[in-house]
Amino acid sequence: MTTVLDRAAPPAPRLARDRRRWAWGLAAVALTAAALAGSGLLSGPVLNRGGFAQFGRFAAAALRPELDPGFLAVVADSVLVTVAYAVLGGGLALLLGAVGAVLVSRRTWGRRRTGWLVTRGLLAVPRGLHEAVWGLLLLNVLGLDPWVGVLAIAVPYGAVTATVFADLLDEVPRGGYEALVAAGAGRGTAALYGLLPPAAGGLLSYSFYRLECAVRSAVVLGLIGAGGLGYQLALSFTSLRWEQVWTTVYALALLCLLADVCGRAVRRRVAAPPSPGPGRDPVLTASVLAVVGLAGWAGWFLALSPAALFSGRTGEQLSYVAAAAWPPSTDPSLLGDVATTAVDTLLMSVVAIVLATAGAVALAGLAARPPAAGPLRRALGVLVRAGLLLLRAVPPPVWALVLLFVLLPGILPGALALAVYTLGVLGRLVGEAVEEADRRPPAALRAAGASPAGAWLYGAVPALAGPVLALALHRWEVTIRDTVLVGLLGAGGIGVLLSARTSAFDWPAVTTVLGAVVLLGFAVDVLGSRARAALR
Amino acid sequence: MSTVRAARSGGPETVTVPLLPRLSRRALLAGTGAALAAALAGCGAGSAAAPDRAGPLRIGAIPDQDPELLQRLHAAVADSLADALGIPVEYRPVTDYAAAVSLFRTGDLDLVWFGGLTGVQARLQTPGAVPVAQRDIDADFHSVFVVNTATGLTPSDDLRPLADLRFTYGSQTSTSGRLMPAYFLREAGVDPEGFPGGPGFSGSHDATLALVASGSYQAGAVNEQVWLARTEAGEVDPAVVAYARTPGYSDYHWLLGPRAAERLGGPDRVVGYFTGLSPDRPTDAGVLDLFGAGSFVPTEAANYRQIEEIGRDLGLIS
Repeated sequence: MTTVLDRAAPPAPRLARDRRRWAWGLAAVALTAAALAGSGLLSGPVLNRGGFAQFGRFAAAALRPELDPGFLAVVADSVLVTVAYAVLGGGLALLLGAVGAVLVSRRTWGRRRTGWLVTRGLLAVPRGLHEAVWGLLLLNVLGLDPWVGVLAIAVPYGAVTATVFADLLDEVPRGGYEALVAAGAGRGTAALYGLLPPAAGGLLSYSFYRLECAVRSAVVLGLIGAGGLGYQLALSFTSLRWEQVWTTVYALALLCLLADVCGRAVRRRVAAPPSPGPGRDPVLTASVLAVVGLAGWAGWFLALSPAALFSGRTGEQLSYVAAAAWPPSTDPSLLGDVATTAVDTLLMSVVAIVLATAGAVALAGLAARPPAAGPLRRALGVLVRAGLLLLRAVPPPVWALVLLFVLLPGILPGALALAVYTLGVLGRLVGEAVEEADRRPPAALRAAGASPAGAWLYGAVPALAGPVLALALHRWEVTIRDTVLVGLLGAGGIGVLLSARTSAFDWPAVTTVLGAVVLLGFAVDVLGSRARAALR
Repeated sequence: MSTVRAARSGGPETVTVPLLPRLSRRALLAGTGAALAAALAGCGAGSAAAPDRAGPLRIGAIPDQDPELLQRLHAAVADSLADALGIPVEYRPVTDYAAAVSLFRTGDLDLVWFGGLTGVQARLQTPGAVPVAQRDIDADFHSVFVVNTATGLTPSDDLRPLADLRFTYGSQTSTSGRLMPAYFLREAGVDPEGFPGGPGFSGSHDATLALVASGSYQAGAVNEQVWLARTEAGEVDPAVVAYARTPGYSDYHWLLGPRAAERLGGPDRVVGYFTGLSPDRPTDAGVLDLFGAGSFVPTEAANYRQIEEIGRDLGLIS
């Protein structure tokens, strides 16, 4: 997401109108209307007034978080666990991604398009399932081993990273590579010396972005029992100890902030124009070494043993689950349930993304740091940005459970929970887009006598609409996976079906549902990327 | 690490800050190598520490109520059991019912306090698992249907008025919060899945009480023991009242895993420990009190046959 922003500004848009955009626009309006109608937001009561007192207790506790030294020590320890999982999971994902990139790069396959398509298609399976779903599956094979948390991050992230790395490698100019091959170098050597150096900046930038995301994923995995901050949050939450919940949330927010700031600093540095002369940037070098060192510490801290992956017990459990899960169930009533819950999931994700985008656009002006502003405006900006940080620091399932107190059950609590969380993410991204937008057109209009609103509408909005919609579509692809997660913890959609079938240990049905989840994610990805292409 | 190394080989393109000393390629590679070696050493140390047979006996429980209460309860059991068996015992909390079953199957948990249904699931998946003991109250356990006072319903034996309410169960595979209430609802002619908007699954008995108190759900089903304990402690929101009580059924029991049974030379020592707990000894009385039991009695697989049949009927055992 932010990588999109860190790149150089795109060339000025063509002035011609694109007819495809009409079709996409109408389809989007229709889908939004269907989703809002389906969520019950427009028909009948959705609020539960009786629950306001309980929601009030949750909100009031924000001002008096638990500060007992014993509990703070537990939280500090949980932070270490979360960081350890994030670094190891993210690091392993980068390794897997590097290997995978070679396998799915167009260059590897050359003209053999079928092979390339098949390997790309295979990657859709690991990346189509949410980290939490991987966590649940791995728990059934590896038990309480810390590998569960590490692999649950590494497998889906590895698949995504492989695709992105391959694209980065395919996009760099191939002159150096071809020259080396022509001079008699082997293909491997030519790739190492001809392809990697020009792609290095992009690869490094993306790697740090992935590590940043891994922190959030490690928190979510805690919710399903992998330990760390998410686990602490789940425990405090189930016992309805709101003061403890808020202490954990603040710790989460600080950790996310730290990851954001560090990751962004490194990525900005990579994106900065290179200074002439040999030698490498010591800050970047130190960052890479710090990550490697941190990974070493994390392996020791979690007592991760490679032997556990190849133990007899792992083999036994893997064959138990595999034998039970194949063939997938084709029971008609199950397929019917899959279809209805898949539609619910889609509607939830649409409601979430529409509300989040609307909110993000409304807040963008305040979230962006203005070039010159008074102290009041600055304070307001800090407040809005801190609020957005809190919104995205609380994992969506927690939002869903809190919202269930004040909303009647249905798909709305889950959809709103995702909307709130996505608003936290999109608010920041749209704010950054506003900061980076060209300020000259609105300034020129103002100077020519236009009203502030007119200057904004005609000077700023046209340039921002494209990037903001592209961000929203990209987040939609992420949201559909999060919807499965929210459902897994009880808030509607196909995740509920998945959790019902896993708790009944109905493995053939689990396979069917997982297949549907992968297909749904894949379909949304295709739709999203087509729509973004039409925006370009 | 090839990415990291390879990524850094793009030397000429990067920014140089003169304040810090430049690193030569060799120094960089050596540093990375040293860090990797440290990482591998860390992994090696981990593998040496991996416990198997000689480790502690690991006990667990389905997370049916407040995790802090469970922690206190099972820490007490762990201490007392360690004294009785002469081996270390540790409590491992889990976050959901299905995870407790899976971890029992993988052998990560040796002795687990299961509900009726999860106990059957775990036993069917783990050849050699033995039910060892249940509380005196478990042979004749009950659930309570609770309603929000705003529904205006008064206590009754007729379950049919519940059919039109927003209704939440506890966990998906809770015996007292899902399976048996669903069974008795069906016996009374109410479709256990047919509530408006579909039934909810709160996750635990305490969460059910909180949601019914809020009114988001108008009715729910909870474990009678939890209901009585919370009522006595005055922790139930006055907006929640009992509506009906189910007939009795067999519920909670301790299940011993095959590896632990082998290690302890059969289940007898564990059975002996539980049945030997006496309210007259202060430490034992503490454990029994936390469990809300007068005593523990031996149990056997046959006691849960009805649960298994109902579980199959409702699609919760496959």
